[in-house]
Amino acid sequence: MMDKKVAYEAYMKTTHRLGRIVSVLTLILLLGAPFVIGSLLGTMPDLGAAARGFLSVGLVWTVSSIVEYLVYTPMLGAGGSYLAFITGNLINMKIPCAMNARELVGAKTGTAENEVISTLSIATSSLVTIVVLALGVLGMIPLRPVLESPALQPAFANVVPALFGAMAYKYFRKDIRLALVPLCIMSLLFMFVPSLTASTSFMIIPAGAIAIGLSWLKYRKGLKEAARK
Amino acid sequence: MTVLDQLNSSGLYLVCGAIVLFIAAVCVVFLVRAWRAGIALGMDPVRMKRAITSSATFSVLPSVGILLGVLALSGSLGIPWPWLRLSVIGALHYETQVAGAAAEQVGIKLAPGAMTTQAFATIALLMSACIIWGMILAALFNKRYLKRLQGRNTAGKSGSGFGDLAMIAMFIGMVSAYLGSYLGELVSGNGRFTFSGSWIPLLVAAVAAAAMAGFIYLAEKKHWEWLDNFSIAGSMLLGMLAAVLAGA
Repeated sequence: MMDKKVAYEAYMKTTHRLGRIVSVLTLILLLGAPFVIGSLLGTMPDLGAAARGFLSVGLVWTVSSIVEYLVYTPMLGAGGSYLAFITGNLINMKIPCAMNARELVGAKTGTAENEVISTLSIATSSLVTIVVLALGVLGMIPLRPVLESPALQPAFANVVPALFGAMAYKYFRKDIRLALVPLCIMSLLFMFVPSLTASTSFMIIPAGAIAIGLSWLKYRKGLKEAARK
Repeated sequence: MTVLDQLNSSGLYLVCGAIVLFIAAVCVVFLVRAWRAGIALGMDPVRMKRAITSSATFSVLPSVGILLGVLALSGSLGIPWPWLRLSVIGALHYETQVAGAAAEQVGIKLAPGAMTTQAFATIALLMSACIIWGMILAALFNKRYLKRLQGRNTAGKSGSGFGDLAMIAMFIGMVSAYLGSYLGELVSGNGRFTFSGSWIPLLVAAVAAAAMAGFIYLAEKKHWEWLDNFSIAGSMLLGMLAAVLAGA
């Protein structure tokens, strides 16, 4: 038992060290690439325009990134979160993928099992995306007519609704009464303020806060009832 | 040689390909380490394999969707850069929005034929700079943040604590926001309460949910547990098929 604890602590220590190193290296590569590419093209980025662009859209994404970090890191654990923030596509793929894997094996948040399963899941998911995209890019010319065929466009334009429909059944059945409150509030909000549909990803924050608040009240009530018995 | 030819040159493939290869290697290292740690902790290899299989099947369909994003951006940014962005850090909705805003700042439209080499380098820099914060926060605070959460978890009185319930609730909130937006789109998408907006996303979500119900029924009641590995991908595929049939 003690050996396992020591081995896990050593694993976590190395994971944090490795995670920090690869995060910094990736950062350097991604920020350096536009300059390397610029030199290949015989030009350099216009830093003034980039700064203005950052002030117009970058700040919004900064706030979103901070919220994503605070919310998703506990779900993903150490290894999973380092990988997920490097490989991206969090909401549409990595988070549901890790949640699904965790559910399949019955791992609990904050446990060593969750840490391992989450890392396995995010790493696998990232590798699948890398392979699919690499194969797709390699075969892009012969593949283009099929993928761009008008008949298939509605399918690929609706990947996200398909994902959230499937996840809705999976998660709503766990507590349908809790789910109805944020669902009704969000539906009414989007009906009365249609322009909000352009900011759906930001509406996750109030919707999540409502659901977590209700869940907390229910949890407290359950604890009180258990204590009374 | 046009700008688009330059953006599709072998030099760009080499730069972008090298970074993608580096990230792939990082994923393999994390995967192998996690597997070994799981074995050392006494976890069942069958369950770990199940997590890997389900994650792989889960990711195929969304990855094809992401590939379409590469296609969508390739007309104005060439193939290598969108390939790198969507393989590594980005998400299609983010990349498209930031690329459009960056193009606006350099005075062009994100469209085939409008691109210049300097505009491209500027757009590429902004696409990189706007979405780095998750990575920076993880590098700076992950250890302390997770330790703090761990402390809270172990201090909890009950076995599972509130952590798992909060995660489920967060997910319910996330799904509610998206489903609410589809309903809002149908009811007020073309003007408040005109009921003339697009009903396709709602139909797709409903079909995918019904398909998931079918998968769960077969897995739980008929004991076809293996179907669990394909439930999400299968439900999504059926939902997307509904979009094709409805669009036909």
